Amino acid sequence: MKKEVSDNVSKDEVDLIEMGKFYFLNGKYEEAISEFEKALKINPKNEDIYFNMGIVKEANNDRGAARKMYEKTLILQPDHKSAKEHLDKLVGIRKGRK
Amino acid sequence: MKQIAVIGLGTFGMAVAKTLAEKGVQVLVIDKNEQRIQEVSSFVTQAVVADATDEQTMRKLGISDFGTVVVASGGNREASILTTLILKELGVKYIIVKGLDDIHARVLQKIGADRIVFPEFDMGIKVAETFVSPNIVEAIELSPEYTMAEVIVPKVFIDQNIRDLNVRERYKLQIIGIKRKEPYIKEDGDTDFKEVLVIAPSPNEILQDGDTLVVIGKYNDIDNLKNL
Repeated sequence: MKKEVSDNVSKDEVDLIEMGKFYFLNGKYEEAISEFEKALKINPKNEDIYFNMGIVKEANNDRGAARKMYEKTLILQPDHKSAKEHLDKLVGIRKGRK
Repeated sequence: MKQIAVIGLGTFGMAVAKTLAEKGVQVLVIDKNEQRIQEVSSFVTQAVVADATDEQTMRKLGISDFGTVVVASGGNREASILTTLILKELGVKYIIVKGLDDIHARVLQKIGADRIVFPEFDMGIKVAETFVSPNIVEAIELSPEYTMAEVIVPKVFIDQNIRDLNVRERYKLQIIGIKRKEPYIKEDGDTDFKEVLVIAPSPNEILQDGDTLVVIGKYNDIDNLKNL
């Protein structure tokens, strides 16, 4: 299901996030981060930007930076399921362990 | 010279301290038990009888000067959590903690442990190897001399093919696989990636940013690769 864009997210911000995703899909990680950073300047409280940056950092093997991004995501949105899953995986918590 | 501190000398802590010392790492070990400390004192750089849950003691030992600290304390979860918290507050950059169970691991994660290991679960994985360098993701001992390791692709390898890099001749290593991230967009619009394994990559395979190489070789040769 496609997420609805909330009213408090500006068009510029959405465009920048889309550009970031586009670069990420094409394996251009530095460019993707640059777009997400621009979007953050417009709205530093958008948890999805931090999450996307976390994904890019993790894909690029920068685990420390990825972790920080997922933690910021969870501060802004404690129920962010994907951020939690990625964070668990990064630290070494495996599903199903008793 | 890499410096690592190991707190707690149970079976796991002892094995970690010995392995690190054998690799030429300067190791400080801390345990409350004097007998255990005596056992390791001959092969580690410094062995101290101390209570790691005492902040003042840890501060005096200069624990924050160690880039990596391994909390290998055994069954006492309170001590392990408190020690981790103290290390975090004293500014230790990379804290690895032996996890006891899922709840313990989640608490450790919340208070800032950078990596949680389950030695009994990760059996066969030579975890100490991976503590020395964050570039080695996992290593499995094949023989006392040879290991199979996952190594983050060195930056100088990116955008080059395996043939041109001549890894086998130049670095005495065999690349047996590449773990590659494939970015995609999920149905809800979030970005994510899946990891695909390229087994027995062809010499023409071009290495990419974000790749993890699965290599077989001697420990020293893998060390050379990770230092590139």
